[in-house]
Amino acid sequence: MKNTMLPNGTRDEFGRTAEIKENIQNRLVDQFKNRGFSKLITPVLEYADVFAPLNSTDYRPYQLLDEKGETMVLRPDLTLPVARVLSTTGVSLPVKWYYSGDVFRLKKQLSGSYNQLTQAGIEIIGYQDLKADFECIATALDGCSSLGINEAYVQLSHAKFIDDVLNILPLPDPAKESLKAALFEKDLSKFDKLIAPLEKTDFAPFIKEWPWLFGDFDEVMTILKKLPKNSILNEITKELQNTKDFIAKEYPQYQVTMDLSIQAPQSYYTGIVFQGFTEESPDYLFSGGRYNNLLQSFQNQNVPAVGVAFDIDALVSRFIGNNSSQQTLVYFDDSQWAKANQFVKETKNATLCLANTLEQAKTIAEQTNSKLIDLSKEEANQ
Amino acid sequence: MTPLKIALTKGRTEEQVIPLLEASGIDVSGLKNKQRRLIFNEDPRYQIILVKGPDVLTYLNNGTVQIGIVGSDILDEQNNSQYPMLDLSVGKCRFVLASTEDFNPRNPRRKIIATKYPNITKRYFQSIGEDVEIIKIEGSVELAPLTGLADAIVDIVETGRTLRENNLKVYAKLQPVNTKLVVNRLGLRQYRQQIKELVASLRKADLASVKE
Repeated sequence: MKNTMLPNGTRDEFGRTAEIKENIQNRLVDQFKNRGFSKLITPVLEYADVFAPLNSTDYRPYQLLDEKGETMVLRPDLTLPVARVLSTTGVSLPVKWYYSGDVFRLKKQLSGSYNQLTQAGIEIIGYQDLKADFECIATALDGCSSLGINEAYVQLSHAKFIDDVLNILPLPDPAKESLKAALFEKDLSKFDKLIAPLEKTDFAPFIKEWPWLFGDFDEVMTILKKLPKNSILNEITKELQNTKDFIAKEYPQYQVTMDLSIQAPQSYYTGIVFQGFTEESPDYLFSGGRYNNLLQSFQNQNVPAVGVAFDIDALVSRFIGNNSSQQTLVYFDDSQWAKANQFVKETKNATLCLANTLEQAKTIAEQTNSKLIDLSKEEANQ
Repeated sequence: MTPLKIALTKGRTEEQVIPLLEASGIDVSGLKNKQRRLIFNEDPRYQIILVKGPDVLTYLNNGTVQIGIVGSDILDEQNNSQYPMLDLSVGKCRFVLASTEDFNPRNPRRKIIATKYPNITKRYFQSIGEDVEIIKIEGSVELAPLTGLADAIVDIVETGRTLRENNLKVYAKLQPVNTKLVVNRLGLRQYRQQIKELVASLRKADLASVKE
């Protein structure tokens, strides 16, 4: 029997959905171009080793073999190919690149999740200063406002915070590891048992609040002040505060939250991490951060890097359902091509109806639930 | 305020958790007299839906609900990636390896193990360095060693009565099982205050129920 069905986790996109997707991609890409980023296209197929740094549970790739038996994958991520390009070509730094394309991740079968996801994003490589982090945030937020998303939260966190706090805790190393795992899983029952030995130390007031250390930026900062003074933490706090001040000044319409209880998205993150979401979105709209260890698995020398990627599918699902408008079909006589063309150009969401008779046009309009405009009648009246 | 959406495992978990929800100040009048309904909005702060255990995670992972109440057996079997925030003191039982009287766990040949939980079984035998063949069955697991389908079973026991009545013996105790409150990662950020309050009151109610 022929199997002509779609594989699980894939979908066709057409009509409004496809159009919205194209529009969103175009708008974001225009924005990247206007800021002077240049395009990078990498292949969909890569060797599996390129993606070794990814945590494997969320990024299970589709695998296949090349003619010599080496494992190739459909790329599950768009940032690591950038690292590969950098380490295998002699590009001189700094560079600013943008990309847009699909990634493939195997999800649980029949769970309603899609395995082919569309992303668009930027990478700034070779700049150490916080200015580069700001440009990524600015690009993300300008992107949001160009799409008409004027209410959103920017969640800030820092890849080094948790390890730095764990380092100064008076606990044996295995206990620190378990504490970290319980914190990341937000397993409160386990967490509370693990922090019992700290009850009588200076850390107690802070540690009790740690699993809830997310939410309004200033409130989280207040809790942070309960920690005993420490110079390394001061630096992290300063970076976070500067980033918050930047957003508050340049993008006052967006709210800034902070999360200091969350795991960095990947092991190569080294600094500020930022993610955008809205109250109703089931997924983060954009996600990015600083990853100066990105090239670690490719070459000995590290380079400063920061980037951000939009989840195009999450953006699309925001716009579907909003203002779904009926299409207008324009029926016309053979002699009216110019007039009909003009009409379609001037009318929003209109298209030529190519039926031969008015009768046929009416049936099509009914079947596709569209509005029908009959130009041929006007001709006859004249 | 948008109501917080909760997926509750129907059946035994539902029965055991309803008193806890009630003690935390949630209006559960609908759940107590549910007839054939599956969605409950009696308490304006919450929307509670009743689903099967494995489906709780599907709803959670899709962000359709922010909170799930489900047994840790299902979380372990399905490799949960959401937040298992709270252990509830209900639904406590344990995974065991069980078989007939004549079963010899030290017999070096590759054993056949029947179970409803192939992932948990696989992990257990990996941890003790033994290779086994696993047969997945959907219910009445006790039958497998009695009928000769398998050498032993991995299953959940609460009191051990079913095992005894079928002349089966426990050969090893695996991990414990209990009911957990699981929270969607992004949902926690979107509904921080509401979830924090729910967690605090549920925890209090749970502690009180243990002391009784």
